[in-house]
Amino acid sequence: MTSNVKNIVIVGGGTAGWITAGTLAASLKKKVSSGYSITLIESARVPIVGVGEGTWPTMRNTLKNMGIKETDFIRQCHVSFKQGAKFCKWVTGKDDDFYYHPLILPQGHNQIDLTPHWLASNSQQSFAQSVCPQEAICELGLAPKHITTAEYLAQANYAYHLDAGSFSEFLKNHCKSQLDVKHIVDDVCQINSLDNGDIASVTTKENGLISGDLFIDCTGFNALLLGKHFKVPFISCEDSLFANQAIAVQVPYKQEDSPIQSHTLSTAQSAGWIWDIGLSTRRGVGSVYSNNHISEDQAHQELLNYLKPTVAEPEKLTFRSIPIKAGHRQRFWEKNCVAIGLSAGFLEPLEASAILLIEISAQMIADQLPTNRFAMDILAKRYNETFTYRWQRIIDFLKLHYTLTKRTDSQFWLDHQNTDTVSERLQEQLELWKYQFPCDNDFEQSLEIFPAASYQYVLYGMGFKTEPNPLGMSAQSIEMAQQHFQKNLMQSNALTSSLTSNRELLNKIQRYGLQTV
Amino acid sequence: MTTLEVLDKNIHKNTRIITGRGAEFGENIHLVPVIAQELHKLVLEYPICLIKDNNTGQFGLNALLGFEVGENLFLQGNEWQANYLPLHILRQPFMVGVNAKQGEQPTPDNTVITINTANARVQEDTGEMIFDEKGNITPYMQQMNNLLSTLVNGIINTESFINTLSEHNLIEPIQLTVNLIGSKEKRFDGIYTINEETLKQLSSEALKELNSKGYLQACYLLLASIGHVQKLITLKRQRVSVEVND
Repeated sequence: MTSNVKNIVIVGGGTAGWITAGTLAASLKKKVSSGYSITLIESARVPIVGVGEGTWPTMRNTLKNMGIKETDFIRQCHVSFKQGAKFCKWVTGKDDDFYYHPLILPQGHNQIDLTPHWLASNSQQSFAQSVCPQEAICELGLAPKHITTAEYLAQANYAYHLDAGSFSEFLKNHCKSQLDVKHIVDDVCQINSLDNGDIASVTTKENGLISGDLFIDCTGFNALLLGKHFKVPFISCEDSLFANQAIAVQVPYKQEDSPIQSHTLSTAQSAGWIWDIGLSTRRGVGSVYSNNHISEDQAHQELLNYLKPTVAEPEKLTFRSIPIKAGHRQRFWEKNCVAIGLSAGFLEPLEASAILLIEISAQMIADQLPTNRFAMDILAKRYNETFTYRWQRIIDFLKLHYTLTKRTDSQFWLDHQNTDTVSERLQEQLELWKYQFPCDNDFEQSLEIFPAASYQYVLYGMGFKTEPNPLGMSAQSIEMAQQHFQKNLMQSNALTSSLTSNRELLNKIQRYGLQTV
Repeated sequence: MTTLEVLDKNIHKNTRIITGRGAEFGENIHLVPVIAQELHKLVLEYPICLIKDNNTGQFGLNALLGFEVGENLFLQGNEWQANYLPLHILRQPFMVGVNAKQGEQPTPDNTVITINTANARVQEDTGEMIFDEKGNITPYMQQMNNLLSTLVNGIINTESFINTLSEHNLIEPIQLTVNLIGSKEKRFDGIYTINEETLKQLSSEALKELNSKGYLQACYLLLASIGHVQKLITLKRQRVSVEVND
């Protein structure tokens, strides 16, 4: 048996399969000379799930590293810009109840924590609005950059909304034509083991045996390798995140020039919430709810009610039900097999973590790709520790949005405020944050997905109170905070007066494209 | 301001064009679009760079005449202190309206000559006639016709020159920092030129292609022209010191 890791086999296409293929192939192409292969086996019969239209700013680097031109991506995947999320009705449920989780860090975050100063000022302005310009930009429907800004660069930090189906196709073409990824369209019907339990090869219907040194399971909810073959247990988190059903619908714009939101809109309902994502060609809308709290009919009706003001006859649209099984595998890397994507786990798309997890999983494998089978077990152990930690923190962060609610209008919201449904770690953090302001030291920084700033945006966006320091604040820090608030105001004004609408920029990119410099 | 009219021998039979130079004709501009074909003449006088159009983000080839909006350091009253003037300056107040489909070459059939009647050059008292008594174009206008035809074709060729530069990742931003006596250091962003290193490292096939189209020479002319920024700084310093002395 050869112990060098040379041949990587990815089972399953879709967003997970192709992002992984592209990331690994681009990384290997840069790092090593030759003698390796990346093969992706994709079934023609298994449809891709195709939900997960929101991304993180990390996607810009992911695409750039693969050698993709942003203009091609924007044009071919019906992309629009996303500058964070607006959460409506999550606190009181009233019409004027909203807060933003923007993508720009608070002003001066390396020098000063503005939260105590903002709280002390009793400002009429929201926390997000006081410390970063993005809420103002989003409220006006403006783009995060100019047509003269080079590709992947930003005036205001941004991610994307994309069409998942087109995205897989786009990545597939790029991986095959530019990155030498071998593509096999076939069904895997058997998994063949070595004596040590590793996967030696998979048997396909038409192409026979395909052997490899490292197998990546991107088979979606099926989890063909990690779940069905290795039987790694699934850890549910439904006791903390109750949503277990989704209804998705594609909504046309009223007019060709209707505005395109440059943020994800998330509106709380009686037993869940509705996502609303603007692509360049249509909206993607859907309801996430708990069927232990309301029936599918009720959820459907709430979705129709939501759509009515903006769609002529919403009942005529095509609705698709998707079951959600919230949770993740106990281990993600077993023997010589790693699961990436839905095969590793799934959470409701509240903070667009699905595609992000794919990116950082693929990136970690690319960065640390074992050259040798003997190194693999050590890396697998570390990988599992890292990603178990990351999944737990994401679950905590999603739970934070629910547990801070003040809504008492339905059992769903009451149940979320029950501390029994909150992890010990999050309970401890919330206790701490009553007296201390969240800072990066509260987290294992290098592994963190959500920085302290994200917690601050949600906590103070939702009206959380931290006691002021009984020792007061120094004159120097007050002076410095004032300067940063002032700077933020100036930056907000400068950006809102110079940026064009999101729609206008997207139209210009369709027409002219972005420069690479 | 611009008021474009299609040139017509009846409407414009008495129209005359003042051919001199000056700010009153809108020549107090700090940037002027140029075409690749005139690079070998421009390179003797002006820094030439690539600048993005604010509206489209697309690169255009420009000669730099000053450091701020409204500043043309080559213009001193009614004198333009250079031996060669960009065609875009010389064409005023005329332009060509092209009614061709995308990719189609401009021909006399799909183009019209337009005149910007809002330009101070255009009046009926003095200067060159456009049409003679019989309604035929004057030798002056014939000369303008030739110039316009060079310009229109040049614009198309310049676009494909720039596209080729983009395809080969040859464009890079430069930071221009200007130190004027008695004032703060000033930084200018948004100016681009050729990345000489990338150019040198192109494959021999790519270089051959660039060479056959005359683009390779154009690249080196562009690079050489940037040296004239120093001349602009000198002109600016002279101007500043003149203002101080006044």
